[in-house]
Amino acid sequence: MTALSNIRIVELSGGVAGEYCGKLLADFGAEVIKVEPPQGSPVRALPPFAGNDRGPDASALFAYLNTNKRSIVLDLESDGGRDALARLVARADVVIDDHAPGWLETVGINPDMVGASHPGLTLCTITPYGRTNAKADVPAEDLTLFHAGGWGYHTPGGVDPAKPPLKGAGRFIVSYEAGMEAALCVSAALFDQHRSGHGRVIDISKQRVMASRLDYVLAQMLVGDMDVTEARGAFDLGGPASIMPCADGFVYLWLSDTRMWWAMHDLMGKPDWMLEFPEDWLQKGCTPERVALSRQYFTQWLKTQNKHEVAAEGQKRGIMVVPINTAPDLMDSPQYQFRQFFTELDHPVVGSASYPTVPYRFSATPAVLAAPAPSLGQHSKAILDSVTQGAAQ
Amino acid sequence: MSDRSIPSYVPRGGPLQGVRVLELTKVWAGPFAGKLLAFLGAQVIRVESVESLDTTRSMTGKDWDNAPGWQAVNPEKLSVQIDIKKPDGRDLFLKLVKQADIVIENMRPGAMERLGLSYDALRQVKPDIICISMGMYGNEGPLAYQTGYAPLFAALGGVSALVGYEGEPPVGMNIRYGDSTSGTASAFAATVALNHRQRTGEGQFVDISFVEVLSTMISDTIMDYSVNGAIPACDGNRHSNMAPHGAYRCRDDAWIAIAIPSDAAWSALTVAMGDPALGEDATLATLERRQARCADLDARIGAWTADKDANELALALQALGVPAAKSFNSIELTTDADLWADDFYPAVTDLNGEPRTIVGPSWKMSSPAELTRGSPALGHDNDYVLGEILGYSVEERTALTEAGITR
Repeated sequence: MTALSNIRIVELSGGVAGEYCGKLLADFGAEVIKVEPPQGSPVRALPPFAGNDRGPDASALFAYLNTNKRSIVLDLESDGGRDALARLVARADVVIDDHAPGWLETVGINPDMVGASHPGLTLCTITPYGRTNAKADVPAEDLTLFHAGGWGYHTPGGVDPAKPPLKGAGRFIVSYEAGMEAALCVSAALFDQHRSGHGRVIDISKQRVMASRLDYVLAQMLVGDMDVTEARGAFDLGGPASIMPCADGFVYLWLSDTRMWWAMHDLMGKPDWMLEFPEDWLQKGCTPERVALSRQYFTQWLKTQNKHEVAAEGQKRGIMVVPINTAPDLMDSPQYQFRQFFTELDHPVVGSASYPTVPYRFSATPAVLAAPAPSLGQHSKAILDSVTQGAAQ
Repeated sequence: MSDRSIPSYVPRGGPLQGVRVLELTKVWAGPFAGKLLAFLGAQVIRVESVESLDTTRSMTGKDWDNAPGWQAVNPEKLSVQIDIKKPDGRDLFLKLVKQADIVIENMRPGAMERLGLSYDALRQVKPDIICISMGMYGNEGPLAYQTGYAPLFAALGGVSALVGYEGEPPVGMNIRYGDSTSGTASAFAATVALNHRQRTGEGQFVDISFVEVLSTMISDTIMDYSVNGAIPACDGNRHSNMAPHGAYRCRDDAWIAIAIPSDAAWSALTVAMGDPALGEDATLATLERRQARCADLDARIGAWTADKDANELALALQALGVPAAKSFNSIELTTDADLWADDFYPAVTDLNGEPRTIVGPSWKMSSPAELTRGSPALGHDNDYVLGEILGYSVEERTALTEAGITR
């Protein structure tokens, strides 16, 4: 058994954030019933796809986000569909939703009333700005929330002011962050629900999740311990830390003190140019000129090096240098293999593929990718039968 | 000197009320995990000592209680000062473990074992203890010896490679990205283990890799490689399902983010631009066609936004149903009226007895944990922890202090 195997969750999500929340719980054994409209979750239409198939079961994104779940199709625009949903909710421990504020009411679930009508249920909503925020109904996407949450303006660091801010890595950082925050709150609420019998109504705001991830700088700014400015570099640290090209890709190098400076000197074969810098310049004389000049020299040398080898040699000397990894590097990583971060899963349409699993190894109740994502409505009949039996009993 | 009248234990409610967490963490990711658990109602006790201070306490000099970075990530926690490197300090810590539910630590791999505080040692005194071990690469394995800070997690996890301008080398995320994300995954893991223990009585050891946490933030990209062998190059602000999609310069060097997820939103954008001909241009009617011409469209939108006020423009676009937002600088982030109205920046009592604004939890929930106090002075809660939790008399506590175990 895994940690949450006695928990029953109804997932109404139609986006990455809510589906990721459900997945994090399903991978620990929770029974997650995914309620989909007749045309399927919108995520089923999102790339990447396996091959040329564009059908409802060909999205590798959907396949990843919905492992271990069961799918039931309900037309929630019909009385029958809403009635079936009400029966599912009545025997659920948790409901997860990531539709726009107001949608839940249209399917018969009122977040303001659910505490009274379903005291033993936890309801978690994930919305762009939060259900009660003045901007609750403002149209938003991950990109606009990345900017409203304080990250966009400051990405990348060390910015060229002529160039626009960047969206961050991939398409869904904001959704993954919000989904993880939601899973944390649901899991904590379940702990209390088990002992008290009382669930909670949880309101996750993607904007606030992103802003809260900045607490180290944001909290200092709030009380005047750090400058609050219009500078796009307001979050940056000084120094020569940066991504630099090498022979077969890129490395990230961060030197922060005299010890690392000498370790780098040793790693590079004791070049003379480093002796012309004051040995404590990283802490006490970190001028833009020295940063630029040292980067030039480092770049020249790194071009002769391979990323994994130079990182391993540097790390042995206590230097903060690592390769800029890409997906194939992750699959080849001896550390990922040792921890079995990837697992092979067979899906009837997507095929057999290596899935990223979870970043936490549990000694007693590891997360398990036991079943691939369901096809659209794969479990409709079984779930409906069990609900009907439940109603007859 | 801190205000000794600030009480150590106040029932605050929240889903994790009654859960006691011992924290042996430093810098940001580890303390962030403890902060989230405290925000959910757990009693989080930092076990620390002058001999082994958190660098965020010591980096700004001797005033380690008022260190700004330290205070930012450690509100709502308690602090007990125990030198766990001394054998008697270790024993004292183990006595505390006996009264705890969770231990979270982000020491270097092997450090807990060297201190005599391995999971097995903890389990001997508290069989159902939950141990949350955090590290850059996890606690064991061929690369576990490597350590570093957040930008290294992002580089190793595959995140940095994806951030960059089209046709250029990667530049990576902001240097601040990665710690709080890793702390959140760790806090989630702790609550999952707690649920399991609640039902079965069984504790466990949880080994977290921050590098893997970062990889889970780009899982769809990894799936694309796994299924199709695709390795994406840096693509600026492009998006496979939206076009246009980007940040555009406005008046006074402000920026607006605009994302067009549908043909209807595209049509609305062209109306706002006062260019209905663009909206009726059949060669731009679909996502694929707009993507094929997105450099051209970005230039046209940028020319249009250049003399506009970013905030007014965002409001106008939102009213038309177009996903748009002013790109918040740090002034706007700290002064946004809607975030304040949501109580995202609550006031607590700081260690000097003064009100202090903190970054609150992102979530709102019914029956939440109350937020009462700021970050603790070093050892502020010695009397409570040693006296009330462990039952040491005043004389015994004095003896511990004289022996250099506590201060």
